Amino acid sequence: MQELVVNYQRGQRTKCLELLFKIKAMRILSVSAALALVMLQAGCLTRSVTVAGSLPTPLVQRIPASIGIYYSEEFKSFEHKEALPESGSYRIDLGGQNLDFFRNLLGAMFAEVIEVNQPSVQEGDNLDAILIPEIVKYGFLVPTVSTLTFFEASIEYQITVLDRSGKDLGQLRIVGYGKAEGAMFGSGEAVGEATMLAIRDGGARIATELSPRIAALLADPEETKGLAQ
Amino acid sequence: MIGNMAGKWLIMLSLLLSGCVTSRIEQSRDTATAMAAGDAIVILGRASYNDRETEESFTDCIVDELSSGGNPITLVPQKEFKDDLYPWFEPRTAPTSAEDLSRLFAEPGVRDRIDESNIKYLAWIEGDTVTTDKGGSMSCTLSTFGGGCFGMSYWEQDASYEASIWDVDKLTTAGQISADASGTSYIAGLIIPIPIIARPGNAACKGLANQLREFIVGGG
Repeated sequence: MQELVVNYQRGQRTKCLELLFKIKAMRILSVSAALALVMLQAGCLTRSVTVAGSLPTPLVQRIPASIGIYYSEEFKSFEHKEALPESGSYRIDLGGQNLDFFRNLLGAMFAEVIEVNQPSVQEGDNLDAILIPEIVKYGFLVPTVSTLTFFEASIEYQITVLDRSGKDLGQLRIVGYGKAEGAMFGSGEAVGEATMLAIRDGGARIATELSPRIAALLADPEETKGLAQ
Repeated sequence: MIGNMAGKWLIMLSLLLSGCVTSRIEQSRDTATAMAAGDAIVILGRASYNDRETEESFTDCIVDELSSGGNPITLVPQKEFKDDLYPWFEPRTAPTSAEDLSRLFAEPGVRDRIDESNIKYLAWIEGDTVTTDKGGSMSCTLSTFGGGCFGMSYWEQDASYEASIWDVDKLTTAGQISADASGTSYIAGLIIPIPIIARPGNAACKGLANQLREFIVGGG
């Protein structure tokens, strides 16, 4: 009889321990979930954004000139990293898409385009000019910062123009801007889309605004109006 | 039988939970319109650099409505059109009036590219849906003994859009159609939250798309 009571008590204790273990496990799970949620809220995660999109060929009058283009390593692999206090860290890789876009754009703007390895005129180069595009500034805004309902991005480009003798004729500067509608769970995607639209806008300005200026400059190297020295 | 019953219940429930929307469609015609076999139109959302812009979902809705049904219209996708005519239909460079088209068509290749696509009309969609009022309060609690929501909240939305139809051959505005819709949505918390959602944007889309179809095909 006594043994029975002891066994019963032991059984009850085991059940209690199992229950306690289950409660602990549940508590750990809920604490982990809450922690993950807090981390997500606080923006502890880094969003890796790869910019992608179509590469339209501009429908513009080709400038009858042979142009050398120097793309620096920084331009080719441009990346922007930024930590925003309210929405986490972003790593935006826009170099590849930007380079493809420029190759397509400038290839359609001039009769002949040659990529050169140095930002200067070399002996034997039979070029009318060398263009050196650079990304001077890149920035983006998310709705938590801007209080607007969409994501925005802007890119400032600088294009240095060298004449056939290597003389620096000055710089052309343009800013491309893009905005994209926000998505509930895809802020990285929206930043990528806004960036792509900024590249596209920059390209549109180069094709429509800079193209005539470059054409005028090639026709008359003294015509440096509108160029920053 | 059970599936049929469930379907009826679902329709009844969705009708019960749909909020009321009032909408008004207006049209003004400047020139006669007609679509021959093979002719196409493009629906373009007007983009701007200010804080308001036509939502992509709205132009997508118009496209879905026009390309479906008994009398579908041939549409050239907006993205394809903008890529083919890059950089002339970007937010910064897009023509703002039908008269601007003649300036644009002077650019090399533009006219040919539009003719190749058999585009007869461009329909620019402008406008947006905004929340004009909201209020009420609702709180939800969750505890080990259960949970529930109590209270009521509401929001009023106003959708206002305008389609401007440009005749690509005549380089003139064929007409305008405007759609205004407003509705109030509610969420009532009676232990479980019961949403009664009004969708003025959807009503404006359907109204505008139907009128646009009638405008272009109908001829006037």
